[in-house]
Amino acid sequence: MPFSGIDELEHALREADYLPDRGLATALYLSLALEKPVLLEGEAGVGKTEAAKALARILGTRLIRLQCYEGLDVAHAVYEWNYSRQLLHIRAAQEGSVSEAELFGPEFLIRRPLLEAIETPQRVVLLIDEIDRADEEFEAFLLEVLSDFQITIPEIGTISAADHKPAVVLTSNRTRELHDALKRRCLYHWIGHPALEREIEIVKVRVPGVPERLAAQAAAFVSGLRTLDLAKPPGVAESIDWVRALVALGRQELDAAVVEETLGSVLKYHEDLLAVRDTTLQELVEAARAAR
Amino acid sequence: MADAVVRHVVTFGRVLREAGLEVGPGRLNDALVGLDRVDLTRQDDVYWTLRQTLVSRHDDLEAFDRAFRAWFLRAPTAPLSREQSGGQTIQLVRRSDGTKRSSEQRDGEGDQEALGYSREELLREKDFASLTPDEFAIVGRLMQELATARPKRRSRRLRPSSGGRQLDMRRLVRDALATGGDCVERPLRDRVRIPRKLVVICDVSGSMEAYSRALVLFLHALVGSGRGVEAFAFGTRLTRLTPDLRGRDPELALVEAAKRVVDWSGGTRIGASLKAFNDEWGRRALTRGAVVLIVSDGWEREDAALVGSEMARLARQAYAVVWVNPLKGHPDYQPLAAGMRAALPSIDRFLAGHNLASLEELAEILSGIERRHAA
Repeated sequence: MPFSGIDELEHALREADYLPDRGLATALYLSLALEKPVLLEGEAGVGKTEAAKALARILGTRLIRLQCYEGLDVAHAVYEWNYSRQLLHIRAAQEGSVSEAELFGPEFLIRRPLLEAIETPQRVVLLIDEIDRADEEFEAFLLEVLSDFQITIPEIGTISAADHKPAVVLTSNRTRELHDALKRRCLYHWIGHPALEREIEIVKVRVPGVPERLAAQAAAFVSGLRTLDLAKPPGVAESIDWVRALVALGRQELDAAVVEETLGSVLKYHEDLLAVRDTTLQELVEAARAAR
Repeated sequence: MADAVVRHVVTFGRVLREAGLEVGPGRLNDALVGLDRVDLTRQDDVYWTLRQTLVSRHDDLEAFDRAFRAWFLRAPTAPLSREQSGGQTIQLVRRSDGTKRSSEQRDGEGDQEALGYSREELLREKDFASLTPDEFAIVGRLMQELATARPKRRSRRLRPSSGGRQLDMRRLVRDALATGGDCVERPLRDRVRIPRKLVVICDVSGSMEAYSRALVLFLHALVGSGRGVEAFAFGTRLTRLTPDLRGRDPELALVEAAKRVVDWSGGTRIGASLKAFNDEWGRRALTRGAVVLIVSDGWEREDAALVGSEMARLARQAYAVVWVNPLKGHPDYQPLAAGMRAALPSIDRFLAGHNLASLEELAEILSGIERRHAA
């Protein structure tokens, strides 16, 4: 355990340009201390995936990422055989001289993220991203992997990571409720939108050289948007994108004209764009400008 | 760890269970081990540690927070028990349903054996609103069979199949081993067809009461037919029904549903309910690629324009939208209700659902939907 307490981990994350709130720092600390996977849920764009990346940075290890999707299967998550190499090998060898054991040996194996995380001799950070998109069969398989940290390949044998368990971060957008058995294996943390002050801090860290006043106004504007009734309220990711765009345009502060032009990097739904443009844009800009 | 802390946490676990959270010994153990690693004098660290180990779903956070405030901070707080509606609504369902279930079912079966097929035939055409309790029991069982029909989609998973489109490379290599690298046969695989997500949003307001009892039975059977079915009910507001419908007993499901849908026989706010659905569930992509089945008579009390815009939003995400309106079963029905008219442009199939025969048609359409139809 490389960190003596939550404070130290929080500090390390800040050094690595990720500003967690106390709750997230606690979740990551406990996940390392108890060697349990942590399940992060929250609206899109609140920094779930970033948290795993930052954890890998501060541990000084590799991040191995498994992006989930519907139909994800063992061949894409764990391993696959390199068939073309196998066929070439049979052809090149003397007839009958290739044994099955040779053909299905480690050199013909294509390692996918889960196997890679288990096989790597050091502790890595394994990010299982958007687990809610995978189907239930895969979830059940994952449950097995996460309880024993071992994978069995019939032709080769069992590969175990019991002495260097990866730090596992799962993320979910809650498109469906995950199975209880999987949740039971995990610590659970819900990431909300950050408070205004922290969002300003995050923007300043992630967009170097942003004028102080612009960062504050943009954060105030975005948190104003979140109080409206929108189809998709913007996350921190949108704030960062937007401020980058404003900096690229050489802006020092917000005004209604530039907000109007760049609103598309904050609001990604046509209805939302229309609703804000027609009604509250002016007011929100005024309020944001008054904030600093 | 001090005994006092252990006792404190175990009791807190019991408080959480009373508030409806699932807190098993495994979680309690995690909480204790976690607390061992943090500074117990820091209130926020204790809070986060307990929350992250004892809670596993977003919906439970509020109950947890309230319990934490009450238990550890000794603050006055609202009662912890989950919202419950009065006994009135539950009674309403029981009364119209009959309470002596077992004897009724026996009667029903006896009748069915005696009268056989013809009675079922008659029942198929009979309006749900005019069913006797006996008939209702029979219809309930017939519905179970119907509900296994589910829309299908092609999965990305591959299974061996002689008519498949992709080579099964693993088998091919194994076979080639015997022939020195020559491929004699072409083992093939194909994508399997698996059930498509199905989202049912059912109107249980006063104007639908005669039908919603029957349709909740149908929903129960649908949810029981396998994974990937989500059910919602609305009247003046929306509530998720899936957990209530998970149980084996449809009548219990009705009672459970009545408890949750506090406005069981109140007014209808279709637009606002659809908006709540789109905001809460559509945003989380539940609707994406799903067949959405809406059961309602389309009587919007407030804002028909909102029905139109929310239906359009729903239809853009869904694979197909089917609207079942029991009133459509009447021969001279015209979609005149303002809400219904506003919804029509976003609907792919518009069906009746007033009797078993019309549900059969629905089942057939559900299992056959392959792509978006014109409205």
